[in-house]
Amino acid sequence: MVAALTPVRPATPPPPAFGKTRGLGERLSPYAYIAPFFVIFAAFGLFPFAFTFYVALFDWNPIGDQEFIGTDNFVRMLGDPRFWNATRNTVSIWALSTIPQLLIALLLAHVLNNARLRFALFFRMSMLVPYVTSVAATAIVFVQLFDRDFGLLNWLLGLVGVAPIDFVQTTWGSHLLIAAMVTWRWFGYTTLLYLASLQAVPRAVYEAAAIDGAGPWQQFRHITVPSLRPMIIFTVVTSTIGGLQIFTEPLLVGTGGPQSCGVVRQCQTLTLFLYEQGFGQFQFGYGSAVGVALFVMVVAIAAINYLLSTRIKADR
Amino acid sequence: MRLRLPLFCAAVALVAACTPGTGGGGGGDGKSFEFWSFSAINQKLSVDAYKQKHPDVEVKLTEVGSSVETAQALTTALAGGKVPDLVLIQGDDLPKFVQQPQNFVDLRTLGADDIKGDYLDWVFKQSVAKDGEVLGIPTDVGGMAMVYRTDLFAAAGLPTDREAVSALWPTWDDYIETGKRYTQQTGKAFVDNAATSVFYQAVNQVSQKYYDNKERKPVYDSNPEVRAAFDLGIKAATSGITAKQTSFETAWSAGMTQGQYATVAAPSWMLNSIRTTAPDTKGKWDIARIPGGSGNWGGSYLAIPKRAQNPQAAWNYIKEMQSPQGQLEHFGRVGALPSTPSVYKDEKLTTTKDPFFSDAPTGTIYTDSLLELKPFYIGPDSATIGQEFLNSITNVEQAGGNPATAWDDAVRNIKTAIGG
Repeated sequence: MVAALTPVRPATPPPPAFGKTRGLGERLSPYAYIAPFFVIFAAFGLFPFAFTFYVALFDWNPIGDQEFIGTDNFVRMLGDPRFWNATRNTVSIWALSTIPQLLIALLLAHVLNNARLRFALFFRMSMLVPYVTSVAATAIVFVQLFDRDFGLLNWLLGLVGVAPIDFVQTTWGSHLLIAAMVTWRWFGYTTLLYLASLQAVPRAVYEAAAIDGAGPWQQFRHITVPSLRPMIIFTVVTSTIGGLQIFTEPLLVGTGGPQSCGVVRQCQTLTLFLYEQGFGQFQFGYGSAVGVALFVMVVAIAAINYLLSTRIKADR
Repeated sequence: MRLRLPLFCAAVALVAACTPGTGGGGGGDGKSFEFWSFSAINQKLSVDAYKQKHPDVEVKLTEVGSSVETAQALTTALAGGKVPDLVLIQGDDLPKFVQQPQNFVDLRTLGADDIKGDYLDWVFKQSVAKDGEVLGIPTDVGGMAMVYRTDLFAAAGLPTDREAVSALWPTWDDYIETGKRYTQQTGKAFVDNAATSVFYQAVNQVSQKYYDNKERKPVYDSNPEVRAAFDLGIKAATSGITAKQTSFETAWSAGMTQGQYATVAAPSWMLNSIRTTAPDTKGKWDIARIPGGSGNWGGSYLAIPKRAQNPQAAWNYIKEMQSPQGQLEHFGRVGALPSTPSVYKDEKLTTTKDPFFSDAPTGTIYTDSLLELKPFYIGPDSATIGQEFLNSITNVEQAGGNPATAWDDAVRNIKTAIGG
C-alpha cells in the first residue's frame, strides 16, 4: 500500500531526450493502479469461470472423491429429460415475460414522453419502485395474490364465475405467475431506457407530424418505434440473457422438492436445475456441465445480437 | 521495488486466505469451541445452561439457518473452508455425510462406545458409517402422532376423546374411511394433504424401506411395503378428503388458521409450528395415535468435523448435554423429544401436558410411538427417492396427474435422478 499512497512525482524536468528510458517504476505504475480490479476479477470471476469447464469433466463430490470422466456429464445431460424440460421452461417464461414487458415499456415511454404530461417527474420516478423492491418481497406478495384458495386474484375470478386456478401446480399457471413477477420487476427499468433515448428525438419531429395530421398512433408507429430501434434490440438482448438466468422467482414460488419448482418440475429453470444438481445433490460436475451449456446459449444469443445490430447499422 | 511490494503482499494475502486452517493442535485447550446449529430451535437455551455450569468454557454458537442451509454451509466448509468444532445435522441430510466418513472425527476415538447404549438403537445406527465409524450422536427424535381439531370432529358427529379417536383408525384404511365420513358430513377436507400426512408416515412404518437392510442396495421399485404405502397415498389423494395444501407452504398455514382441514400428521417438533401458526386455535386441538401405531419423522445429530480445532471441548459438550439426563432437561426447555429411552418413564416426561392441545400428555404419546419401531437402512439417495414419490402423489392430488401411471412415473423419475 505504501506505493499506492506515494504520489507519483510529476516529471518536473522536461521529458528526457528521445531514446532515454524512463524509470522502471514510472512505466509500471499505471499497471499497479489498475491491478486491484484485475486481481479481484481473476480471483472471483475468471478463475471460477475457467474452473467450471474443468469441473464439468469430473464426477465431482465436494466432500468426497473427484473422478475424471471426460464428456460423460455432457452425454448424460443431453439425454436427461429434466435438462430439456428446464430449457423449455426457461424459454417459455422468457417469452411470457419479455414480450409483454417490452410492449408495456414502449407504450409507457411514449406516454411519459408526451410534452403535455403533468407531474412527469413523479410518474417517471415511480416506474422504478418495483425495480428497487427486493425480489423475495415481491415473490411473497405475488404468491399470496395468486394463491388457489386464499388469493385475491382467484377471489375476483370467482366473482365472475371462474373456477379457482392453481397458479403453482399447473405448468401454464406457474409460468404466468413467474412471468408476471419478472415483468413487474423490469418494466420500469426498460421504460426509462426507452424514455431516455426518446428524449434525444427532436420535439420538432412530433410537432411536424401533428401539423401534417398524424394521430397519436401514427406518431407512435412512425416516429417512436423507428427511433427506438437500436434501443429495442439492446433491451431484447439484455432481457434474453437475463431471462436465461431467471433463478430467484422460481426458487421462491416452487413447492414440493425445494429446488425443483413444483412436483413435476413444471417451472424449474436452467439455473435452478444447475443449483439443484450442484448444491442439492452435490453433483458439482454435472451442475458445471449445465453451467457450460448455459454459457454456450448466452454466447449464441450475443452472436445473433451482433449480427442484427451490424445489419441495422448497414441499413442506415 | 517499491511498486512490486503491494502486489507481492496481495498475493501472499490471497494465498494465506485460501489455505485451509491448519488442523487441530492436539485437541485444543478444551475451553472453547465453535458450534453451528439451526435457527428457530432455541439451541441458545441449552448452550446458556451449559455455560452456567462451566463458566470457564466459551461456546461460540452460530445459528446458520434452516437445517438444509446448515448442511449446505457445512458442505462448503468441509470442501475447503473454516469448519466449526461442533455441528448439528438433521437426519434427512445425514446419509450424504455418512457416505464420506473421512470428513468427520470417528467419535469412537473419543469414547462413543461407552455411551452408545443410552440411545435408541435404530437412531444411533443411522450415523454409523460403512466400516463402523461413529459420526454423530443423536440429539432428539420426532416421534409421530395425528393431531386433530376437537371442535370440527364434534361438529361432524365424530368422537372427540383422544382414546376414542385413536380407536377410529388402527390402520390407514380406517383413517381414510373416517375421512370420507367426515367429508360427507361437513363437506370440508379431513386432512391437509395425502403426500405428507399419509404416504410419508406409512412409508416410515415398514421393516425395510428404499434400500435392502442387509445388502444396502436400492429396492424401492420392488419392495411391496413401499408400494403399499404409495397406494395408500394415492387412495387418500383420490378420495376427496384432502385440502390439497402442501405442508409448510403459506396456504397450508392459512388453511390451518381457518380450519380448512381437521387432521394433520405431526411429529413432536411440529407442535411448536402449529402453536405459532394458528395461535387462535388454542385448546381446539388434541393428539391421537398415528394409524399403524408407531412412526418417526425427524431428529438430528451432533458431529465433529475432522479439521475441528477443539474436538475435545466439543465432545465434552456432547457427553454432558446429550446424556439421558441432559436430553430430558432439553425436553423440559424446548420440547424436543429425547433419543434416550431410559428417560421415557421419567416423571418429568410423563407428566408433561400441553394446554394448547387440550392437555394432551405429549411426552408419553410421542415416546409410545417410538418403542415399536423397527430399524431400516437409510441410504445415500433415500431423500431423493422419497421426494420423487411425494411429488408423484402431490401431482395426482393437486395437478390432475393420472393415478394409474403415478407409480411408474415416480420410478422413472427416480431412475433419472439417481442414475440407477
